[in-house]
Amino acid sequence: MSSPEPHGSSGFTDSESSAESLEFQEHQYTATHTSAPPGEGGGYNFYTHPARTSVLDANGDLVLDPTLRLGPAPAANSTEMDYAAAQGDTANVWRTPGGSLPSFSRAFDFFASEPTSATVDDDRFFVPSYLKGSTYVQKLEEAYNKKLEAQKEVKRTKGNGQDISASSLSTTPLPGGAHRGMLHTVLERAPFDDGDSLAPLPRHWNTADMWTSIEVMPNMLGLKFSGPKNHHERDHEASAIRADHFMPPQCGIYYYEVHIISGKQDDTTIAIGFSTKTASLSRPVGWEPESWGYHGDDGRCFTGQNIGRSYGPSFTTGDVIGCGVNFRDHTAFWTKNGHMLGFAVQDIPRHKLYPSVSLKKQGEEILVNFGQEPFVYNIDDLMNEQRESIQRAIQRTDTSHLEPGMNETDLIQTLVLQFLQHDGYVETARAFAEDMKLQKEALNLNPDVTVDGVNIKDDEDANNRQRIRQAILDGEIDQALKYTDMYYPQVLQDNEQVYFKLRCRKFIEMVRKAAELSIKYDGKRGGDQEMDLDLNGSHGWGDNMETDGGDHRAELTKLENKMLKYGQSLQGEYAGDSRKEIGKALNEIWALVAYKNPLKEPQVSHLLEEKGRVTVAEELNSAILSSLGKSSRASLETLYAQTSVLLEDLRKDGGPGAFVSLQDVVDSIQQFPQV
Amino acid sequence: MSSASTATPAKHAFERRVEGVKSPKNDINALILDYLTMEGYPNAAARFSKEAKLQPQQDTSAIRARQQIQNCIHSGNIQTAIETLNELDPEILDKDKALRFSLLRLQLVELIRVCNASGGDIGPALKFATEQLGPPASTNPAFLEDLETTMALLLFNSDSLEPQLAALLDPSLRRDAADRVNRAILERQSTRREAAIRQLVKMRAWAEGAAREKGGGLPERLDLGLGGDESQSQTWRGSGSENGHESMMTT
Repeated sequence: MSSPEPHGSSGFTDSESSAESLEFQEHQYTATHTSAPPGEGGGYNFYTHPARTSVLDANGDLVLDPTLRLGPAPAANSTEMDYAAAQGDTANVWRTPGGSLPSFSRAFDFFASEPTSATVDDDRFFVPSYLKGSTYVQKLEEAYNKKLEAQKEVKRTKGNGQDISASSLSTTPLPGGAHRGMLHTVLERAPFDDGDSLAPLPRHWNTADMWTSIEVMPNMLGLKFSGPKNHHERDHEASAIRADHFMPPQCGIYYYEVHIISGKQDDTTIAIGFSTKTASLSRPVGWEPESWGYHGDDGRCFTGQNIGRSYGPSFTTGDVIGCGVNFRDHTAFWTKNGHMLGFAVQDIPRHKLYPSVSLKKQGEEILVNFGQEPFVYNIDDLMNEQRESIQRAIQRTDTSHLEPGMNETDLIQTLVLQFLQHDGYVETARAFAEDMKLQKEALNLNPDVTVDGVNIKDDEDANNRQRIRQAILDGEIDQALKYTDMYYPQVLQDNEQVYFKLRCRKFIEMVRKAAELSIKYDGKRGGDQEMDLDLNGSHGWGDNMETDGGDHRAELTKLENKMLKYGQSLQGEYAGDSRKEIGKALNEIWALVAYKNPLKEPQVSHLLEEKGRVTVAEELNSAILSSLGKSSRASLETLYAQTSVLLEDLRKDGGPGAFVSLQDVVDSIQQFPQV
Repeated sequence: MSSASTATPAKHAFERRVEGVKSPKNDINALILDYLTMEGYPNAAARFSKEAKLQPQQDTSAIRARQQIQNCIHSGNIQTAIETLNELDPEILDKDKALRFSLLRLQLVELIRVCNASGGDIGPALKFATEQLGPPASTNPAFLEDLETTMALLLFNSDSLEPQLAALLDPSLRRDAADRVNRAILERQSTRREAAIRQLVKMRAWAEGAAREKGGGLPERLDLGLGGDESQSQTWRGSGSENGHESMMTT
C-alpha cells in the first residue's frame, strides 16, 4: 500500500487524517464488537502479533479490524463445524471422540487458513457461473481439495499423537481465497506471481485495504458509509475499499456485480470499478491513476483522472451494476440491471487489478456479488461467445506442420496405431492395421501397385504386457504379480512404489469381493425373491435359502479374515515407513475396513472403483516399458501433454488459453449416446 | 531436427514441463475408442473395448454400416454408396442438397475417369451429367460452377491437366466425400460430427501457433516422438516391411 498522502488534496494534513480515521475505527469497533462473546481476549494475540499480520492501514494507523472481534471466540467449535460441513463429515473417522484439540494445533489450524469466523461463510468453495468448466476453476478445485486433504492430515497426525510437520503445511498451496482478510495480509507477501501458484478468486472485501468511514457487514460483502454527514466535504474525497484478491487473468474475463441497496436519488455518489494496490483509497474509484470506475451520480466513466467521459445512465437505489475486465483484449465494460453498457476502457495495463468501490455520502449502502450468487447480467453468454470464437479458430487450424509429410488423417492414424503398439494392445493394433489396409486399397487408383499394409510384428513383449494388464483390469492382482515376476523379474524390485500400489490394490480387490458378497448375502437374508432370482438365476428358491445363506456367511467370514490378515501384513511391513504417500495410502485403504459395506459409502466407495485398476495397470506398464529402455509415453500422450502446457502458457495472462479446455475435448466424448 | 533422443544433453525447459504434465490413460483410452468408433473401424473398436475394458460406444453393426458406405466411396463405387446410405437413413441426402450434389459430382468424376482410362466413350458421362447434375445445378450457382469445372475434365487430356482439375481426379476427393458422408450420418446419431481426437490435434496445432505468435521460448520444433525411437512402430512413411520373427505366443 503506497500513497500515504491523498492525491491532490490541498490543505488536508496527515495528522488530521490520522486522528479522524482512528476515531472512526474506534467507532466501528464498538459498533461491531457487541456481538463478540466476552472473555476471549487472550485469543487475539495470534492475530495481532506484528510478525503475522499488518496492523497498520494505509495511513500507518492502527487498524482494529471489526471482523477480528467476531472471529476467534468459539474458534475450536466453529472450526470443527465448518470443517465437518465442508467435509460432509468424512472426517468423523479421524476425529478424536472428545473433539477438543490441543491448543497449539488449534493455532495451527488457523495458520493453515481455516475459517476463523462463524459469521462468514468463507470456506465454501464457489464457482462463478461463467467460469464453470474452465481449466482455471478445475485447478482451483484441485488446490482446494488438496487443502482439505492437508487439513485432514493435520487431524490425522494429531490423532496419532505425532507431530505436525510445519514445512508440509507451509508449502501447501493456498487456494481460492480460503482465508480471511486478515490472514490475507500475511499471505499477500507470499509470492503469488510465482509462476506456478494459482491466483485465487476475489471472495469478499478486504478490511485491511480500505479507507475510513466504511462499515463492513459481517458477511464481508455488504458495505455502508459510516461517516457523519458532510464527512467528505470536498468533492474529491471518498472512501474506497478493495477486494481481498486481484482479478485472476486466467479467467479470461473477470466479472462481478454490485447491488445498490441505498443511495440518494439523483445523487448516488457510489463508484464501481477496479484499481491496483497503488491507487489511493481516499478518492472515488476512477479518479486516481491506476483506477477505473463508473460513477452513479453522473453515469460517467473515469479512467485514472478527474475528467471522465459520458458513458452510461446514472444509477441509484435498487440498481445492479456489473463490472468486467476482458484480459484477452485488455478492455473493461460495465452493465446496468442486466444490460451491457459497452466497452469503455482500452489498453488496461497488465497489473494486478482489484475489484473496488467507493462510497461518499451518508446512507449509501451496497452489496457485492463476486459470483457466489447468480448474476443479473448474462455474463455466461458473453463468455461462451469468446469460447466459440476460439473454437472456430481452432477448427480452421491447419495441422500439416505437426508432422512433416502427413495430413491430419494420416497423422491421426499413425498416432493411434503407434499408441496401440506402444501400450501393448496387440489385437486392436492388428485389427486396426487390417481396416487401414482395406481403406488404402480402396483408395488406390493404380491396379499395378500393391498396397503395403502395416506389418504388426507379433511382439512378445507386447503380448506379455497385455496379459499383465488384462489380469489387473480383471481385478486378478495375484495373477498380474505372477506374470510380472515371470516375464520381468527386475521390474517389481526396481519399482518398489509400483509394487506397493499393486499390493494396496490387491487389498482393495479383497475388500471389494467381500463387499459384493455381503450385498448378495443381505439380499438373501431380506428374503427378496427378485434379488434371489437375479443373483442366482438357475437356483430354486425356498428350501435352499437357509443353507445358501449359511454358505455365504461362512465364505464371507473366511474372505474377511483373509483380507484382514493381508491388510495387517501390509501395514506391518510399512509401519516404519516415513514416506507420506505410503502412510496416506495405507490409511485410506484401512478406512475401507471401518464400514460395514464400503461399496455403499460415498466417501470411500471411489477407492473401490474399477477405474483405479486402470491407474495401477498403466503405472506398471510404464515401469515395464522403462525397464525395456522404451519411452514410457506414446506420441499421442506427448501430444496431449504438449497441448496442456501450451494452453497453460496461453492462459497465464488471460490470453486465449483461458477460453479453451483440454477437458472439454475428452468430456465431449460422453455426449455420444450409448447405442 | 530429427527425432527426439532422450540423450539430448540439455533438455529444453518446455520439454521438462511436458514431462511433468499428466496425460491420464483413462482419457487417452477414451479418445482412442471414440476415434475407432466415429471414423468407422468396427473390428478395431470391438477389440479395443475388450482389451482396454471399455464400454463400447456404439454397436459394431452400426459402425460397420458406416464403414461400408465409406468403403464404397473410397473405391469409387458411388452408386452403391448412395443406395446404401438411402437405405440407412433416406433423410440425410434428402435434406442435405449440397452433400447429395457432391456425391453425384463424384460419381461423374468416376465416370470420366473410366472413360479417360479406356480412351473410350464419353456418352455415359454426358448422359449422367445432363440427367442427374443438370437439374440441381440450374438452381444453385455454386453447384453450376462445380459442374462446369468437372465437365472441363472431358476437354483435356488427363496427363496435362491444370492443378485445379487434376485435384478432382485425386483420391483425396473420394476421401473427403467419404468423410463428409460419415459426419452427416454421425450428426444424425449423436451430437458430434467428428472424433474428439481431431479436436485435440487441431487444438495442439492452434496452441503452438498462438504461443509462437506470443513469443515465449519454445523449442524450435515440438517433437511428437513419431520419428522412431520406438522400434516397433511403423508409420506410413516407413512401410518398408521387414518381416519380423513369427509369433512365439498366441493369445
